[in-house]
Amino acid sequence: MTFQRILQSLSFFLFALLLWQAAFPLVSILPVEMFLWLDPLTFLGTSLSGRLFNAFSWVSLLVLAFTFLLGRFYCGTLCPMGIAVDLAGCLISRKEKKPVAREFPAHLRQVKYRILLFILGAALLGVSLVYLASPISWITRLCGLILHPVLSFLGDLAIDAVRPLAAHWNMSSLAYAQLSTPRFDFQWITVLFFAVVFACARYSPRFWCRYLCPSGAILALMASKPLLKRQVSDECIHCGLCAKRCPMGAIGDDPSLTDHRECIVCETCVRTCPSHAVSFGMTRLGSIKSSGGFSLDRRKLLLSSASGVGAALVTLTSLRHIGAEGGVAKVSHLELIRPPGAVPEKDFLALCVGCGECMKACPTNTLQPVGLAAGISGFFSPVVTPHRGPCEPLCNVCGQVCPTGAIRPLPLEEKTWAKVGTAHLLRHKCLAWEYGKKCLICAEFCAYEALDFKMVSGISVAVPFVNEKKCSGCGVCEHNCPVQARSAIVVEPMGALRLAAGAYRENGREMGLSLSVRQKGAGDLPFIRDDPEEEGSGYQGLPPGFTD
Amino acid sequence: MRYSMKTHPLEEQNVWEKEVLDRREFLKRQLCGAAFLAVATTGIRLPDALSAADIPDLAVCKGLPGAATRAAVDLLGGMQAFVKSGNKVVIKPNMSFDGGPETATNTHPAVIRELVAMCREAGASRVRVLDHPFRQVKLAGIELAQEACKAFGEDIVHALYDRDLYRSAAIPGGVSLRQTHVMVDVLDADVLIAAPVAKTHNSTGVSLSMKGMMGLIHDREVMHRDHELDPAIVDLCTLLRPGLVVVDATRVLSTGGPRGPGKVIQMDTIIASRDTVAADAKTVQMCEWYGRRFEPRQIRHIQLAHERGLGRMDVENLTAKAREI
Repeated sequence: MTFQRILQSLSFFLFALLLWQAAFPLVSILPVEMFLWLDPLTFLGTSLSGRLFNAFSWVSLLVLAFTFLLGRFYCGTLCPMGIAVDLAGCLISRKEKKPVAREFPAHLRQVKYRILLFILGAALLGVSLVYLASPISWITRLCGLILHPVLSFLGDLAIDAVRPLAAHWNMSSLAYAQLSTPRFDFQWITVLFFAVVFACARYSPRFWCRYLCPSGAILALMASKPLLKRQVSDECIHCGLCAKRCPMGAIGDDPSLTDHRECIVCETCVRTCPSHAVSFGMTRLGSIKSSGGFSLDRRKLLLSSASGVGAALVTLTSLRHIGAEGGVAKVSHLELIRPPGAVPEKDFLALCVGCGECMKACPTNTLQPVGLAAGISGFFSPVVTPHRGPCEPLCNVCGQVCPTGAIRPLPLEEKTWAKVGTAHLLRHKCLAWEYGKKCLICAEFCAYEALDFKMVSGISVAVPFVNEKKCSGCGVCEHNCPVQARSAIVVEPMGALRLAAGAYRENGREMGLSLSVRQKGAGDLPFIRDDPEEEGSGYQGLPPGFTD
Repeated sequence: MRYSMKTHPLEEQNVWEKEVLDRREFLKRQLCGAAFLAVATTGIRLPDALSAADIPDLAVCKGLPGAATRAAVDLLGGMQAFVKSGNKVVIKPNMSFDGGPETATNTHPAVIRELVAMCREAGASRVRVLDHPFRQVKLAGIELAQEACKAFGEDIVHALYDRDLYRSAAIPGGVSLRQTHVMVDVLDADVLIAAPVAKTHNSTGVSLSMKGMMGLIHDREVMHRDHELDPAIVDLCTLLRPGLVVVDATRVLSTGGPRGPGKVIQMDTIIASRDTVAADAKTVQMCEWYGRRFEPRQIRHIQLAHERGLGRMDVENLTAKAREI
């Protein structure tokens, strides 16, 4: 195993570990979203579209600065996408010992710059399409939203298989081990994307990195004249083996010349050279010639950014686009219940890169990637899906793990006030209202005490009423409602509190909200809350559940 | 851990309000009971314990949660009367709410611990404390119960969510609910002990040992949706029949149940019986609910269970022993 492979393995291990740790409760020394911070496209794209210099940006700037000195070391050693592509290349390449570079036309390398400029062009107008091509965003989606559920599922199968044995041998922790499989929407788009990317690795190693990766394009621009360079001594016998083996195809017909923009400092050439003529070392600026490689066609690049601007204009004029708004978002689509602490919709869409980190971390699996409900730029952005799970009152992890600040990292007290929507009753489906059955599960589960139950004339049982001022939109009522298909109580993003800055609590209070969760162990002992209004009134003489 | 059991004020506090019954009230209740018994026709199953003259139908003990639990079970003949050597025991407390003992939404951890200890003393081969919570997060109720049972050296307390831990079971005695999925451990157990906390419930009036049986099955939604809740609870109770019921009324959630918060009344009382209907009925009769007093028949599932012969709610006609520790 070479040094580069060891670094790659460590990097991928760290990436996977951090993604695994993105969970509730959040326990991690390093920020779990760190790898997304490293991605220069995430930084450049969201800074531009969000008009915001994020606090994490220094990480990405550091990568850029190091690239200026050391070349594209990031692509060769740190990038988890690069590692996945390498691995796929090893697994599916042909019988030959190592994948050999196929010659694709050199101008194909321009595609990555064009993708980059397309995305930046759209970002100029505040429309973020970063999710389309950000490598770390894609690989996080693959691992968090595809591999993680698959592994959980397999783990659950394994546990079920050994459970009888474990019970027999009284291995309690194994006998009662329970894994619930998270499920996500739109998996097949991610699967298809990677099928194509991996399949291309069969024809050219690191096809994605060579031709398509816009993050690689940013790094390539920084790495045109790095300090750490590939050098070829006079011992070179011009066998051309290095050029053949180079996974990036960065070595031209003259093996002593390198296209540094394409070189990822993997040092494969050093290892393959039969006469040990290749080395990497520090040089003075410009002392070693670089191969011309290909030249960037300015006209085409301009055209790409123009089409990015055009795409943004179309997006901005689409029905789905949400204009600027104040504290309360005027969200157009019923589906768009955003996670608690999500900034106002327009900013949210500008910042969200659809990486799925929040969805992976969500303990109740309520956060799901949305389809086209928020328009093309909102694909893969997270929404609360109460039918799948409620937003857990004790959890504030989604904001803690969001890499770009699309969801604000709120302390639990503030998150309680970050109302995501409001529940309302569909009385014609309600077991109590429509069928006169004893139920009131919604009231039983509401942690915010937003459901009142009262006796009304004409109905023999107590029926639920939503108190909008107390409802956080967590959806525990919708989730637990026993009514099939559509629940009899549903959450809509009505009245959601979306703040770009400032305190949720204060703003909520000003709006007349009264949100609180009964904390465990709160209050003095014994805990007594005597509500004078509660007794007698509303029950028509009898408390709920009692009969004459 | 936020709430230490040893220093818990409820354990140290020894003040309780005496249940005051004047003669008139007593007679009135006697009359009501007698009248009801006359009305309640035939087919009432007499409790098995009636043969042993000195063993009461109901044991009511006042004191600290752990001590009162032991005393109440001792009054019924001790745990060895219920648990034989080598038996597998499942204890069903309330522990699925996220609150400490002061909220009165969960069975007091000291009650659970005492029951486990007594089962072990009686020679049980396996004791499990099980519940099916709705939320898959760390709940204070579960954590405190686990903490309390730590000393026993094995994992006794479990929250079961996974369908694979449940097995389909027919309910031959069920009228409406005829089949459900019950915890495998419960189906395989020799003895089931119900150990509910005394609390109100917004649908069923109170949630005691009978309502608590819903915490041993997988799909509870159908009981609300496809059946009438109260008869369905009775159906379920024809299948899940605890050999021993220990109602934790050390604190009573007198309003706002089952989740709370609500008015918590300190009663320092444990009510135990072999008869789940009698235990629930006695609890209803003894405690204050929403600032008032109620008869057991005012809880529909208790009345239905009585009518269907699952047990007796005419507690006035049952033998009871009381003790203060």
